[in-house]
Amino acid sequence: MGLNPPKIGLIVSDPGDILSGIIDLQALKKKCEKIRGVEHCVLLTDFKSESFLIAAQKPLAEKQIDRLIWIGRFTVKQKCTLEKKLEKSGLNPYLNEWSDLTSQSFGKQEASEEARFKKALTLIKMAVARAKLLEPLETEEVPNSESAVVIGAGISGLHAASALIERGKQVHLVEKESGVGGKVGLLSRFFPLQCNPQCGIEYALKSLRTSEKLTVHTLSKPTSVEGTAGNFSVSINTRPHYVDSNLCNGCGKCADVCPIEIPLWENVIQDEPPFQNEMGIGTMLKETQKAIHLPTPYPFPETYLIERDKCPADCKKCLEVCPVEAINLDEQIDLKQNLDAGALLVTSGWDAYPLSKLRDYYGYGLLPNIIGNLEMEQLLLQMTKRSDIQLQAIDSGPLAVGFVQCAGSRNKDHLSYCSSVCCSATIKQIKQLKSLHPGAKCTVFYQDMRCFGFDEDLYQELKSESDVLFVRGFPRVNESDLIDGKMNLTVEDTFSGLPVNTEIDLLVLAGGMQPSSGGLEFAELSGLPLNKHRFFTGHYQCYPEESQRTGILTAGCARGPMNVSQSIESSGKAAIKALNFLESTTSIAPTYPVVNEAKCDQCKRCIEDCPYDCYRQNEKGFPVPDLKKCRQCGNCMGVCPVSAISMNHFTIKQLANQIEILENSFLRHEEPTVLAFLCENDAYVAACSAIDQGLDVPINVIQIKVPCAGAVNNALIADALSLGIDGVLIAGCKDEQCHYVRGFDLVQKRSGDLGDKLGTMMIEPERVRSEGIEIHESDRYVSLLNEYIEKLTKLGPNPFKI
Amino acid sequence: MPPRVNPEKCDGCNAQEEPLCEQVCPGDLMTLNESGKAVCRENSDCWDCMSCTKICPVGAIETRMPYQLGYHGAKLIPMVGTNTITWTSIDINKKVERFRFKTRID
Repeated sequence: MGLNPPKIGLIVSDPGDILSGIIDLQALKKKCEKIRGVEHCVLLTDFKSESFLIAAQKPLAEKQIDRLIWIGRFTVKQKCTLEKKLEKSGLNPYLNEWSDLTSQSFGKQEASEEARFKKALTLIKMAVARAKLLEPLETEEVPNSESAVVIGAGISGLHAASALIERGKQVHLVEKESGVGGKVGLLSRFFPLQCNPQCGIEYALKSLRTSEKLTVHTLSKPTSVEGTAGNFSVSINTRPHYVDSNLCNGCGKCADVCPIEIPLWENVIQDEPPFQNEMGIGTMLKETQKAIHLPTPYPFPETYLIERDKCPADCKKCLEVCPVEAINLDEQIDLKQNLDAGALLVTSGWDAYPLSKLRDYYGYGLLPNIIGNLEMEQLLLQMTKRSDIQLQAIDSGPLAVGFVQCAGSRNKDHLSYCSSVCCSATIKQIKQLKSLHPGAKCTVFYQDMRCFGFDEDLYQELKSESDVLFVRGFPRVNESDLIDGKMNLTVEDTFSGLPVNTEIDLLVLAGGMQPSSGGLEFAELSGLPLNKHRFFTGHYQCYPEESQRTGILTAGCARGPMNVSQSIESSGKAAIKALNFLESTTSIAPTYPVVNEAKCDQCKRCIEDCPYDCYRQNEKGFPVPDLKKCRQCGNCMGVCPVSAISMNHFTIKQLANQIEILENSFLRHEEPTVLAFLCENDAYVAACSAIDQGLDVPINVIQIKVPCAGAVNNALIADALSLGIDGVLIAGCKDEQCHYVRGFDLVQKRSGDLGDKLGTMMIEPERVRSEGIEIHESDRYVSLLNEYIEKLTKLGPNPFKI
Repeated sequence: MPPRVNPEKCDGCNAQEEPLCEQVCPGDLMTLNESGKAVCRENSDCWDCMSCTKICPVGAIETRMPYQLGYHGAKLIPMVGTNTITWTSIDINKKVERFRFKTRID
């Protein structure tokens, strides 16, 4: 401002004659021309887009107007086009103010003409107050690192990496095992085509094998995450491989001479005891590998590594035969590196729920012929690979296999949630078992068969075509149930109420999925929030695959139980989202929060309460938002106790000046006025559609749109009350639906505190009210307002009212 | 008369090194006790400037009126807006007076 006070042009457009039906626009125009700062006012009569443009360009050129207020309803497209075109005429887009009078209520018949007129004038004065403080703003470009770090090289990680590599990005794939593939590498078949996962992994690897953009870090774990979206720095720690991956040619001579055999799956399946039972499952799965071997579960990268702790002392056989001198048995120190990344993708997957916790109930680990479903996958895989492996019934009768669903899932003592894939997995395993052992008798113990989507077809098919017995009830397995190698189980079928007796050779427990240990470790070191089941969490409806930390994406089973194809889809979405931070620069809308250091007390409440952890202290101790992390929700502006934080283009000063206009009520003294701060995501939309639907929204309310209910500062409410406004309503998204996690919770707490203070001041605390309103609750919004206004009428005018 | 902190409301400014009342107190009298709640460590040194009362973001602090100004039970309550402050004065007969002032021009 200063020497050159702003010159404002007002353009009123009313194509639907909505406003002229309510107020005398000509008289309004005359009043508007007298408002200080308004240099030009025009009522449009022609509503073609060109006429809008001419109406705006003329005063810009002739009267040196430097900001425009558009009164009336404009579509988003119209707004964007006008802003863009006017930018060419020299008006910064942020110097346009859009004031949609038609989305404010002018009451139905009861409201007097005078009140309507005054309200319209008040709203225009508020728009002028806001417009006076508009500043020209420019979109900012912030540079990014163009490589990504993917944590976890399971099927999700591989697909995410290949999607990013296809877009020409550099990818670091970090995996704690020696090879890629993750849990899918342990399966024998996957959905929906019953194909072999090895083939699926190989397909995912196709583009990765030849790419120079991929770096795979196996036997590695992240140890710290610094920085922010666009510029992360991830430190990783790599355990020694003892074989130089640049030299090794994968010839395998070393493995031929290695004297040590170790069980192949020992490191992979964590449950105890693995595969020990009388049916020979233990022996058949005792497939071994040498101490120097290719990576597991899937042999990629194609270079060997040594499990050094298994080596006999002074054995140097591999070293002697290696033709390329790739082996260094003395490599001792972990390799520590820092990786730069624009985005992090966490595809840390899942771990099998430890079935040993079900020892007392299902006898896992107690009786030899009880295995988990992952072990069953292994069994089936081995049987497909080698025809000499056959399952045999103990008494050489038909083989009887039982499957127990929800072993550990949907149980308050274990995993309370449904692992969602196990029912279908059991169907899949039975189908495969039947193809290998057509005579096998299968019994499924279940409480509900939850075969989601098209998997239901498989279930129905199996039910109608084969002799599989489905028993609704769970067996309880005791040591005494094992007689001559067979288990005699009695189960109460909860449908018929009758006991069912079964003889079982092998019992398969469909164990659930729990968050992977690697994922939990990462959550701890990065501070990523987890849900109550300890999977990664976020607002996935509106921000697919985004965690609560901008630039860190979570995909696949790291987010929760998913089947293979869902995991792959999820990783694709995450890769698309990651690309935002992998371009050379990210565009930042200039409407971010700014801290006024002259006012700031360094109390750190903004740092504490920012839902995205954006704030850091600068060298002087003042909080500074990280613009790339910031989602511009304004919660920092709401929480600041000294009103030192303002969003650009939506400053606290602008709001305060708007509220100040309300000092002179547009209604009679005894009629209450209500100021409503409405969250733009839910409540504001509900309020606008209430008016569009023709509902009787009371004239008493002035609506102000805010990015999140949490952006409303108590100081603004105090302003409003001290100016004599009778009631302040803050409406946001209900409960946990808030887009910005806890904006509404925070504002509820704050307005509660303010209400308590009002009580001590002998002002009714009800004058401040916070409500959750959903987007479709227009009716409720109106009835809530009516009830509120009735209450305020009863309370009488605010004591501060002049 | 000293400020009185409502421990139910006081959140110790989330256990930051210095809560806001400690920062603003001109006599450096406010501090956190063992349970992380604000407390005035030397009541007799307080000169009733009410800075702590005004700044407390959760409204946990009340300044009792010195007896020279109002008998026991009288209250003076500030409410801070963006550029206004209001004072509500309640005497022992519950007679209420309210004042509003502009505080800042920025």
